[in-house]
Amino acid sequence: MTALTDTTADTAAGTLADTTQLADETAARAPREKTRHVVDRAENLPLGSRRIVQVGKLSIGVLNIDDRYHALLNKCPHHGAPLCEGVVRGTMADTAPHEYSYGRHNEFITCPWHGYEFALESGRPLLDIGLRVPVFTVAVEDGDVVLYV
Amino acid sequence: MTTIEAPRGAPDDTDLKRNGVIDSDVHPNFINGIRDLTPYMSETWKSRLGVSGEDWAKGMAAAQFTLPLDYLYINPAGAYREDAARPGMPPATDPDFTATHLLDPHGVYRAVLLAGQCLGIGAMPDGMIAATIASAYNEWMCERWLQNDQRWRGALVVAPQDPEAAVAEIDRMAKRDGIVAVFMPLGQILMGEKHYWPIYEACNRHELPLITHPSGTENVFAKAPQMAGTPTFYLEWHTALGQIHQSNTLSMICHGVFEKFPKLRHVIAEGGFMWALEVMWKLDRDWKGLRNEVPWLTRPPSEYLLEHTRFTTQPFIEPHDPRHLAPLMEMLHAEQTLMYSSDYPHWDFDNPDQALRGLSPQLRRAIQVDTPRAVYGDRLD
Repeated sequence: MTALTDTTADTAAGTLADTTQLADETAARAPREKTRHVVDRAENLPLGSRRIVQVGKLSIGVLNIDDRYHALLNKCPHHGAPLCEGVVRGTMADTAPHEYSYGRHNEFITCPWHGYEFALESGRPLLDIGLRVPVFTVAVEDGDVVLYV
Repeated sequence: MTTIEAPRGAPDDTDLKRNGVIDSDVHPNFINGIRDLTPYMSETWKSRLGVSGEDWAKGMAAAQFTLPLDYLYINPAGAYREDAARPGMPPATDPDFTATHLLDPHGVYRAVLLAGQCLGIGAMPDGMIAATIASAYNEWMCERWLQNDQRWRGALVVAPQDPEAAVAEIDRMAKRDGIVAVFMPLGQILMGEKHYWPIYEACNRHELPLITHPSGTENVFAKAPQMAGTPTFYLEWHTALGQIHQSNTLSMICHGVFEKFPKLRHVIAEGGFMWALEVMWKLDRDWKGLRNEVPWLTRPPSEYLLEHTRFTTQPFIEPHDPRHLAPLMEMLHAEQTLMYSSDYPHWDFDNPDQALRGLSPQLRRAIQVDTPRAVYGDRLD
């Protein structure tokens, strides 16, 4: 098991360039065996909380949204922003002009830089930008929140 | 009067129909201002407009309405082609002479008449006055121009201040011979707003393209479209008029006008076009983060512009380095967005044989024939 570093408090933009490169390298080496990482006890990641963790060179956000855990690469594919620091919310349905209908509450994370929306579940952008955010398997096992990378 | 030698091998009608140039911006003029319209007005409205009285009243304040135009900006080059005037005959006041001066020598198949001195009636405080002038102009245009030569086509003018009257006018005129579009003078309200939607509904229903054009009133009157500050010089003012068209284009796209009225086509005449590149690119970029504000846009905003907005070419761009012209045209999708216009009889006229000579024959053909045909449809023939 790889040691996890909690970097929630200091996700400095300066470290992001490195993770970019490594994320690409990780993808290039796939497929490979996933490694198991314990994030924390589940009671320490309650409803609505999130944790940014470092796995090797990857910065990953683990979020407890509506009592489901999600894990995404903490890097927006658009300009490299720390995506997992963004707001989680729903989005507006396609409606007729001058009508609004909010829905799909908490299904999307919004990039803190340019507002691009990505589905928490799949990492896919709501509007096609030709790129998606890598997502990771996360589960609760014996009271531990466990991340597979 | 100019005499035109019949060109050898003159095209027969079929050839002209298939290949003749379509000019989307020609301005027919009055000889005596608003008084040319009095035969098309009731006594009541002549009285209301102050045009039923003595002729001296037309130059006096508070005695007679006058047509709002660019009275605070004087063009030192004369504003009109001097060669289009004859003694006692100001430019583009005589349909016969205009045909021999513009249509015959350039093989123009159809020329669309735009509003003349009614370009600025959107600035009038009273929408009923504007609507009355618009209706009278439309009758005048049909009788004096459209019935004179089959090559003339007309855009029927409406009052943007009074959408209800505008819709009534569109319904009244849409089926008249020679009408190919609706001309909406610009007003102070940006064009995406619901105020105008009844007009767009009527255009959509009759499948008439909507044409706008600089009004000549920008920053001259309080109800005219407002620019960023008031320019000092004609050169400065005239170059900055494109601001209004950028704002109107953005407003129509963002309000979802083209989602609501999918058959609507908006032709921007003489409003410039290269600005559309940055508008398209910036809209698409920002929309990806700001979609929640305009969730009714189901496609990248640039696609609405490319599908629904058309630009007339005059005054055509002249890049400092002519090699830049082709890539600019490619970026603009000029083969589908541009429509040739001359702006006859104005001073900055674009001759169809000269202005577009830097373009490939294929692109010239698209701009002068195919795209305008797609916009106006069967109403041209």
